[in-house]
Amino acid sequence: MEFRDFSLFLNHTKVKRFVDDLASGKIMGTKCKKCGLNLYPPRADCPDCYSIDMEWVELKTLGKLATFTMVNVPPDRFNTVLQMPFSKFRFEPCPIGLLELENGLRIMGWIPKVNPKEIKVGITLKAEAQILPGGKVTIVFNPVK
Amino acid sequence: MRKVAIVGIGHGKFGVRSDASLRELAFEAVKDCMNDAGITIKEVDSMVTGICSDHFSFALQPSAMVHDYIGFLPKGNFRTEGACATGSMAVRTGWMTVASGLADVVLVVGAEKMTEVPTSVATEIMGKGGDATWEYPFGTTFPGYYAMIAQAHMAQYGTTEEQLARVAVKNHYYGMKNPYAHMQKDVTLEMALSSSFVAYPLKLFDCSLITDGAAAIVLASEQKAKAISDKPVWLVGLGLGTDTMVIGERKDLTSLRGSVYAARQAYEMAGMTPDDIDVATVHDCFTIAEIVAYEDLGFCKKGEGGKLIEEKQTYADGKIPVNVDGGLKSKGHPVGATGVSMAVEITKQLRGEAGPRQVRNAEIGLTHNVGGSGQVAAVHIYRRG
Repeated sequence: MEFRDFSLFLNHTKVKRFVDDLASGKIMGTKCKKCGLNLYPPRADCPDCYSIDMEWVELKTLGKLATFTMVNVPPDRFNTVLQMPFSKFRFEPCPIGLLELENGLRIMGWIPKVNPKEIKVGITLKAEAQILPGGKVTIVFNPVK
Repeated sequence: MRKVAIVGIGHGKFGVRSDASLRELAFEAVKDCMNDAGITIKEVDSMVTGICSDHFSFALQPSAMVHDYIGFLPKGNFRTEGACATGSMAVRTGWMTVASGLADVVLVVGAEKMTEVPTSVATEIMGKGGDATWEYPFGTTFPGYYAMIAQAHMAQYGTTEEQLARVAVKNHYYGMKNPYAHMQKDVTLEMALSSSFVAYPLKLFDCSLITDGAAAIVLASEQKAKAISDKPVWLVGLGLGTDTMVIGERKDLTSLRGSVYAARQAYEMAGMTPDDIDVATVHDCFTIAEIVAYEDLGFCKKGEGGKLIEEKQTYADGKIPVNVDGGLKSKGHPVGATGVSMAVEITKQLRGEAGPRQVRNAEIGLTHNVGGSGQVAAVHIYRRG
């Protein structure tokens, strides 16, 4: 799968596999085989020991919400103002946040299924891959049943 | 290394300047700066220009428009970029040019024209100050990043929306005393607290402004400084730090590591501590950013930034006056110009020329300028000559 199905802009990268794994339901990070550094977002190169010998690791995605926001004024690329005379359209943003996993790594994702009023720092959520209508893959944080 | 002083300052009106182009805005600041220094452009040896974004200026080398328009040919001009810290990158580069002996008199210009694109496009351009690959796909914006910093700060230290709003109230209070400020409007606590959300928990009045504007300074070597000016202000400490591209990788979401690093470096170079600072301009792109800056710069303990503004300790007569020019919040934030504008304000304060917003007996000043969501941070310390 093309990296562009995850990222908006960039398609050329050594960590392209991330998108295929995400499409199959796995959220992957990389780990340096030499010094053991865990990385998310995944990197092909270790910034610590400069090794390029990295392995892919499936992340255990249960975590606690480290922080969140709800962007009411979206950037141009996401701007969906309907041009319909006499109609009323109210943009309802979807909350986003950072989920802190047990190993300390943080993942960014959408929080579509939790009532915004109940979103608090520290709540337990699970990061999951989701394929959007149109084929894009993304990451969502869902409540744990 | 040679000593370096500011010997001239210039500032144009910040605002929605649909009456002027980027290069014309730069000219206003440069002309004002030449008048202040009492020299002509012909006496300047070299130039540094801070312009942040080609996307705002619709040009590949917007700095060339500036050096041409101000009549600088064929002398050298060097452009800097560091997102919202672009202006401080220019000041730092100007300092390096003089300190190294490459030039004796250097003009530093910062300029940005942000309002020629629609707000949603400006929001997108600024949002790319974060990680375009890993964060932007989640619809992140510049306010969004700082909203997440605010949320983490509130959860960890109990910082409140009211404390955030108090930063806006202070900065607008002083912005009304600054004729160059973009939004010279009194903002009450009630107004700030009842304004609409831009990115929860940040509201409209927690956000700085999308602004057009330019500022300029002249830097000179010790020998030239004494010949040009009888009130030089010396740039005695410089620090530059960085932080991760994605904010999720930061160990502490409530602090900007680059600011802490840059501050330590600048204090050490100047041989000073936070207690020595009489007046500061800090990077209040959002109200939470000013509170985090209080802590990162050592003006208060970690977690006590909210209390510092609540006790009004950062007003002109407080323990450490901060952003008494209105800050980015009220003066406006034309990204490339901001760092240079901070240097202009501190110079005015140290010369005793800040009029109704003057801090009494200010001898030592500090500027703090952050790029993006903290990826770069520059801290400069100035001393009256």
